Amino acid sequence: MLLLPLLALLSLPFCLAAISAESAHEKLVKLAASNNGLIKLDDSLYGLLTHPKRTWSASVHLTAMDPRRRCTPCKEFDPSFSAVAKAWTHVPQAQRDTHFFATADFDNAMGTFQKLGLQSAPVVHIHLAAEGDRRPASGRSAPIVYDFSNGFDAGPLAEQLSAYTPVAIPYKAPIDFAKYGTAAGVALIILSGIRFFLPILRSRWAWAAGTVLTSLVMTAGFMFVRIRGMPASGANGQWIAPGYQNQYGQEVQVVSFVYGLLSAAFLMLTLVTPYQTHSSRQRLQVYLWSGVIFVMFSVLISLFRVKNRGYPFKLLL
Amino acid sequence: MPLAYSLPSNLSPATVTNTSSLLRIISLALISGAAIASRLFAVINFESIIHEFDPWFNYRATRVLAEKGFYAFWNWFDHTAWYPLGRVVGGTIYPGLMATSGVIYNVLHALNLPVDIRNICVLLAPGFSALTAWSTYMFTKEMKDESAGLLAAAFIGIAPGYISRSVAGSYDNEAIAIFLLMFTFYSWIKALKTGSAFFGTLTALFYFYMVAAWGGYAFITNMIPLHALTLILMGRFSSRLYVAYSSWYAIGTLASMQVPFVGFQPVRTSEHMAALGVFGLLQIVAFAELVRAHVSSKQFQSILFGSVIGIGLLGALAFGGLTYKGWIAPWTGRFYSLWDTGYAKKYIPIIASVSEHQPTAWPSFFMDLQFLIFLFPAGVVLCFRELRDEHVFVIIYAVVASYFAGVMVRLMLTLTPVVCVAAAVAFSSLLDTYIDPVEPEASDAAASPAEGTSAAGAAAAASDAGSSKKAKKAAAPDPGVASGILAAVAPSGSGPKSRGIFGLDTRGLVVFNALGMLLFFVLHCTYVTSSAYSSPSVVLASTNPDGSQHIIDDFREAYYWLRQNTPEDAVVMSWWDYGYQIAGMADRPTLVDNNTWNNTHIATVGKAMSSSEEVAYPILRKHDVDYVLVIFGGLIGYSGDDINKFLWMVRIAQGVWPEEIQEPNYFTPKGEYRIDDAAPATMKNSLMYKMSYYRFAELFGGNQAVDRVRGQQVPKTGPTLDYLDEAFTSENWIVRIYQVKKEDPLGRDLKAANAFANGKKRKKSKPLSRRRAVA
Repeated sequence: MLLLPLLALLSLPFCLAAISAESAHEKLVKLAASNNGLIKLDDSLYGLLTHPKRTWSASVHLTAMDPRRRCTPCKEFDPSFSAVAKAWTHVPQAQRDTHFFATADFDNAMGTFQKLGLQSAPVVHIHLAAEGDRRPASGRSAPIVYDFSNGFDAGPLAEQLSAYTPVAIPYKAPIDFAKYGTAAGVALIILSGIRFFLPILRSRWAWAAGTVLTSLVMTAGFMFVRIRGMPASGANGQWIAPGYQNQYGQEVQVVSFVYGLLSAAFLMLTLVTPYQTHSSRQRLQVYLWSGVIFVMFSVLISLFRVKNRGYPFKLLL
Repeated sequence: MPLAYSLPSNLSPATVTNTSSLLRIISLALISGAAIASRLFAVINFESIIHEFDPWFNYRATRVLAEKGFYAFWNWFDHTAWYPLGRVVGGTIYPGLMATSGVIYNVLHALNLPVDIRNICVLLAPGFSALTAWSTYMFTKEMKDESAGLLAAAFIGIAPGYISRSVAGSYDNEAIAIFLLMFTFYSWIKALKTGSAFFGTLTALFYFYMVAAWGGYAFITNMIPLHALTLILMGRFSSRLYVAYSSWYAIGTLASMQVPFVGFQPVRTSEHMAALGVFGLLQIVAFAELVRAHVSSKQFQSILFGSVIGIGLLGALAFGGLTYKGWIAPWTGRFYSLWDTGYAKKYIPIIASVSEHQPTAWPSFFMDLQFLIFLFPAGVVLCFRELRDEHVFVIIYAVVASYFAGVMVRLMLTLTPVVCVAAAVAFSSLLDTYIDPVEPEASDAAASPAEGTSAAGAAAAASDAGSSKKAKKAAAPDPGVASGILAAVAPSGSGPKSRGIFGLDTRGLVVFNALGMLLFFVLHCTYVTSSAYSSPSVVLASTNPDGSQHIIDDFREAYYWLRQNTPEDAVVMSWWDYGYQIAGMADRPTLVDNNTWNNTHIATVGKAMSSSEEVAYPILRKHDVDYVLVIFGGLIGYSGDDINKFLWMVRIAQGVWPEEIQEPNYFTPKGEYRIDDAAPATMKNSLMYKMSYYRFAELFGGNQAVDRVRGQQVPKTGPTLDYLDEAFTSENWIVRIYQVKKEDPLGRDLKAANAFANGKKRKKSKPLSRRRAVA
């Protein structure tokens, strides 16, 4: 009973081999040349590209661009891959035709996705040459999966794919005119308005505000949020991240505000209140700011207790 | 002049001065005592033992220095580290720490005090923390006055941010470096204030000591030029600045080049170029000032001004050109990763993998500095109010250090001193204002138009709270908050104004509040130090159900097993974290250790750990590995174990062999990191997984085995090992040691040999096994 499917399975390579590697190569070269170096794949073309006797290597981008699939990373990554594929067309023909860039969209190549058992997209597979002088020493035939840990940008993609192409991919990031333009514009505005900015630059309190804001934001964990790319708040609306070594973006604002308020209360007590020449008003101020310090400090401690459950001390709250 | 409370008036000024200076000395002595005592939790709770990882190497090097003398230490080539490469120790370390201990050891022995070198190493950090408190006192005294200095000394003495790196037993470079940092800064400020070449030279000498002691010296190398540059830009160039900077730079740079590990870096790398550039700029500015003093023509001066800027630009271009040509090395890894925060993860995963190089979340700041963290901005504002040259230094330090501390947990250490100083300035200003007994004249008590009361009372000589009619007039129209802020914002030199506090209750409230915060701070510091920062991490502690302490001593148990049961030249392979400990406690050669200088070697170990037995075995044999050591916390829930670090091993190996090791293969298709039945095959076949869970399920006697770190169920049939033998497993299974089998004497593959030994016959052909029914 099992013999029939087995036979069918065994015959599969022969069906493919029926199209010889040379003719497949010619077809692929043509396809690549017609579409900016990028081959659009369907199931049969995928089989052609990953020909068991291929003398070429290929980077296959498996994606789902249809809006119904709602794959935002796919949309984000697609231009990068196309840009790298386009850059590859500038390579001299002798090398160019030994590596192909191809895209398989889920809606055109469902069978391929099923065969590979892919649940998520985008994925980039790198198929090394199976025969010829570019065959790797290890004889590896299973595809290498591209590691997205460096993000979806074209730069790292080109850099990492270059390890598998006969020559490095001559990808150059396009000049970001918008960025340079903005920078030049800002510089121009500052230069032309130097007369108006100079008093600010020379004012010590402008600098003081900058300094204090910087240190408040930094000590509230701004860099943590930035480097780790933490969201502003978590799922289901909670804004305090559980755990001691963790925090959300909103905590930066809250904590730096609390710090700032406490700091300001101390400054008011030290610098401003003594200048009040009305004794009862001054008394009111002293009580007010002392109260603010006490309450805000309690709030801060209770916030800290949320983060660090074992903390044994508390004030009001 | 009304007083809120009366002061004794029959004391001579000399008595007051003498008493206050005696009180200062006593307070400093008590602060030193508290600083030392609060760092002894580790010794009392555990024993006099060296902590963690790096200190074990420092201790080992110090022992060489104490036993064999300085020259042997200087020329020491360590054969046992980085087997088979070895390591030139003398040229690859900062010798300041070991030299300090060596000097103390020799002095004590010359005095016939036979102190063990280990105890010196253990107690060095607490001892130096007392010196740090003193130098912080001196530094803050230059900022404000003695009372602020005492507060700052007390703060830094017990602030957990500094204790975390200087408890007894944490014998690391930072232990002495913070003292050197603060003292260098103090003498720099002193040199700048007095324009004395003596203090400039002192700065240079302590800078040299710092260079010899800690790689973080680059912080000073850039802080001082930054300060000098800011002063020049503010138009505050003076001959004092010129003398102080030139003497520091010339002597300090020459001295720092004597440290072999630093060598010619001060003239060849970008980190040091700021200092050189500012040095050049200062010469140009000084020359321009000199010419200006002698030439009167206005046009000539503007030409001069233009040429100064021109020369400065040319110099900057020259630096750029030299860097481009490769004469000056560009910004390197560790320092560059502070600016470009994604850099380390991309290019130097070893640095990114260290937990102390992670960014800091806000609870860490609060844990380490408690109420100082919100007094700190207030102190910075007060510095802006006065803005003398030395206050500019504190301001720059505050901005730079708070950024650095945000990027790396480890650099909290450099932030702590400036937080203590600024907070002390703010706190002592508050106390000054509210303890001062002089009451101002109330505007509502209209019947006191006393004139000429500008002189303060004898008891309040220190207070500047005078009052003159003029000043009162200025403030009189609307004595609301707005004018108060205006008055506060105005520089303090703008003339005496009526300021002071009315009544005793207000004073009482604020001072009581302040004392309460101080008390709370002490409780907080004691709690944090005893619970979080006093664990040696070589010995672990847990609590029994009855509340008594249970010591988990697996590490030393295993290391001593290695020491006593293996030949002296047996090579031990482990992940690099444990290299120094194995060398220090087990005294056996290691492949890699915490001096992570050779990425490929570390990646080799990572590859061996993350690939299957068949792939790993040739690697192990080629490196003469006799034993493999893994840390496994699954039994008692020790979360810092190798399975949790495993992904870094994979990542580092992937960096060198991207085709053979790939991180996604170690995750399930859904992207989870699992060790149970659903774990991917690559994970289950990896050497690390096999060594960690080998025979683990047997421990549960047929019940479901549970890994208590990951909280996952371990497969009932555990992994089998063909190329390794379990040699030793410690009491709580934290350390597991495996012996690497030699090649089979009959030339068979070890897997086949193992199968044969287990009675499994080699399958020759299919029909043969068909014949017999499988039981």
